[in-house]
Amino acid sequence: MKLIVSSFTLLKQLQSISGVLTTNATIPILENFLFQLNNNELTITASDLETTITTRLKVESKDKGTIAIPGKILLEILKTFNEQPLTFSINDKNNIIEISSDYGKYKLNGEKGEDYPRVPVIDKSNHIELPSAVLHEAINKTIFATGNDDLRPVMSGVFCQLSDDSTVFVATDAHRLVRYRRTDIKSKQAGSFILPKKPLTLLKNILPSEETRVKVDYNEANAFFSFENYELICRLIDGRYPNYEAVIPVDNPNVLTIDRVAFLNSIKRVSIFANKTTYQVKLSIKGSELSVSAEDVDFANEANERLTCSYEGADMDIAFNARFLADMVANLDTEEILVHMSLPNRAGILTPGKDHATKGEDILMLVMPVMIG
Amino acid sequence: MIFLKRVRYNRLYCNHYIDCIISMAQLSDRQIVHMDLDCFFVSVSRLLHPELNNKPVIVGGGERGVVAACSYETRRYGVHSAMPIRQAKRLCPEAVIIRGDYDAYSSHSDMVNEIISEKVPLYERSSIDEFYIDFTGMDRFFGSYKFATELRQCIIRETGLPISFGMSANKTVSKVATDEVKPNNQMKVDSGEEKFFLAPLSVRKIPMVGEKTYTLLRSMGVEKVKTVQEMPVELMENVLGENGVSIWKKSNGIDPSPVEPYHEQKSMSTEETFEQDTIDVQRMKHILIAMTEKLCFRLRSERKLTACVAVKIRYSNFDTHTMQCRIPYTSCDHTLIKYVKELFEKLFHRRLLIRLIGVKFSHLIGGGHQINLFEDSEEIINLYQAMDKMRLRYGEDKIQRAAALSFSLRGFNPFNGLSKSPVGKQTRDTLLLADGDVKTSAPDNTEI
Repeated sequence: MKLIVSSFTLLKQLQSISGVLTTNATIPILENFLFQLNNNELTITASDLETTITTRLKVESKDKGTIAIPGKILLEILKTFNEQPLTFSINDKNNIIEISSDYGKYKLNGEKGEDYPRVPVIDKSNHIELPSAVLHEAINKTIFATGNDDLRPVMSGVFCQLSDDSTVFVATDAHRLVRYRRTDIKSKQAGSFILPKKPLTLLKNILPSEETRVKVDYNEANAFFSFENYELICRLIDGRYPNYEAVIPVDNPNVLTIDRVAFLNSIKRVSIFANKTTYQVKLSIKGSELSVSAEDVDFANEANERLTCSYEGADMDIAFNARFLADMVANLDTEEILVHMSLPNRAGILTPGKDHATKGEDILMLVMPVMIG
Repeated sequence: MIFLKRVRYNRLYCNHYIDCIISMAQLSDRQIVHMDLDCFFVSVSRLLHPELNNKPVIVGGGERGVVAACSYETRRYGVHSAMPIRQAKRLCPEAVIIRGDYDAYSSHSDMVNEIISEKVPLYERSSIDEFYIDFTGMDRFFGSYKFATELRQCIIRETGLPISFGMSANKTVSKVATDEVKPNNQMKVDSGEEKFFLAPLSVRKIPMVGEKTYTLLRSMGVEKVKTVQEMPVELMENVLGENGVSIWKKSNGIDPSPVEPYHEQKSMSTEETFEQDTIDVQRMKHILIAMTEKLCFRLRSERKLTACVAVKIRYSNFDTHTMQCRIPYTSCDHTLIKYVKELFEKLFHRRLLIRLIGVKFSHLIGGGHQINLFEDSEEIINLYQAMDKMRLRYGEDKIQRAAALSFSLRGFNPFNGLSKSPVGKQTRDTLLLADGDVKTSAPDNTEI
């Protein structure tokens, strides 16, 4: 089996899917890329059993066949080439791959393509379609709020809830929560599933910026994404997602309106002086003045900044983990943001300000406070 | 001086400064004072109850407790601290045994601390009744020994507590000197004289030499510090390892350790020896709950969080086992009680009577509890805040979990600072009363 391909094209495709490869895979063959050649169409697959991603590209060839090529070594050599055609000659008997470049020849030992685990097939699935930009935005806005707790796997993913009036993406680690709702994307069939973090991160990186439709098929166990020349299939997280609506407080009489960038920079500066484990910062709001302060008693570090804001409600002191707060403020795009609060021991809710322009988009970011005196 | 004073508030800065002092000045040029309040608990008790003056007094508690402190009168009978109360009673039957009042001790210690902090720039409070002061460089302005004498007189005058000090070029020699001159006295060991001062003393006097090391050294024929001084350091290392080297250095009057003004609290713990060994699992669980509740309150009132819980049990044959687990930072009763119970269940698997149980929180950091969206309901957070408010206002034992109710912790423990509450047989009644108190006269004006 023989094929000729541009080094840049191949590298670009491999890099976009190489995030799936793990160094210590459960089965060694998963450290390989699977090449499936069908005349001038090459399909490349990478998988960790949970997530499988394939990409297709055009090559020059008249052969058919499959081979698994060691991923790390292939990527390393490709990175060193400038743009040039490469010839892959594969000996089907001993699985030796010979790559010829302008500079010389390289041989490496592959594995039989037939030994590569089969990609699961989705049956009895539901289907929706959404613009790639929307999916990209939904992932971006939620993924940072997912948890890392192995004991609670459901929280390590993003919850997707489809209904006939909207589509909702939710992420939470029990200390903060993001709800990203699109009222312009509807699905006839109601359904919900939890997507793991890894495939979402991959998707985020390969989703095209130009307007493309992403097709999503899902059933009980798997979700299948396809767009352009990519196909991604991933296992869903099994389990019941916590009832997030119940923990979002409705009655929040105290509303703070503040310049987003100024607030973000202030938090970032002040948090340098906070305790390095808790990142605790205190917001004290009096009238139309917000003071952001932090201290680390162990080192006698402290910081205090004042910002002007507009505020409706009773004066209050409330403390948060600065990292959580900064993540959220950074992930909103509007010039001004609103912070809705009720009591120092109840959640603070961040929403975009008036200049929020994207139609059909509804963002809510919730962060739980830290108890103070 | 001003520079030094500011430095005290900043640990990093200060360590750096101490390094400078050490490198700048010759080690032997330092002037370190060790101040020790003479039988502190007894002195404070006598201050509050003058009728105890000139009587043999032992502070300690319970049938199975140990002597926390004893007056010099009782020492003549061979009583010493950490000796079981029963044995002390046998040795000195006429001694008055009193229970400690930790709050009083603590406040008197604070008084002394305040006086010292006003007068000197660099000092270390190494325990409730001991202080190390670094006078290095101050003799340019005052005579260090004169200054220390005045400081001692000032403390005696203002607090009425007897205090002794020893002065030398390092912490070890000063401490030994204080020990030698007690009670109510002072002494200076001149630079260069350290070795000669230590030589005639028993090796037991060297800090670090405990009962076991002492026995070992005696079995080697070492009795006086002089012998250790004459021994090659390698021999000590062979016998006692690294500690041997350290003991050898101390015996030779070498101790470069600086006076450290700041001590990070690394853990908080409490433990309880039973009046009688027990196997009543239910009761022990209740005790653990009571302990955890107390420690949690302390965590919250000191604005700390813990990330490591440990449970300790000692069987009646003195086999001691501990088990710990790492957890996410928290200060919430319900979370910590869950872990403590789990650990206890894992730990207690021998059908043997238990003599002691204890709980310890470590990996402490400052900060507030990060409220959890799903696990901490608003009611629970409000409950803790209200309970803490009541405890701060009306006393720590005024409100507690029902499970912890039938049991009160041994109130007085001079070493971990748990507050006082009745102990022993009358505990149960008194405590129920105390709690009944909450129910009947629960202050209506408490803002919950």
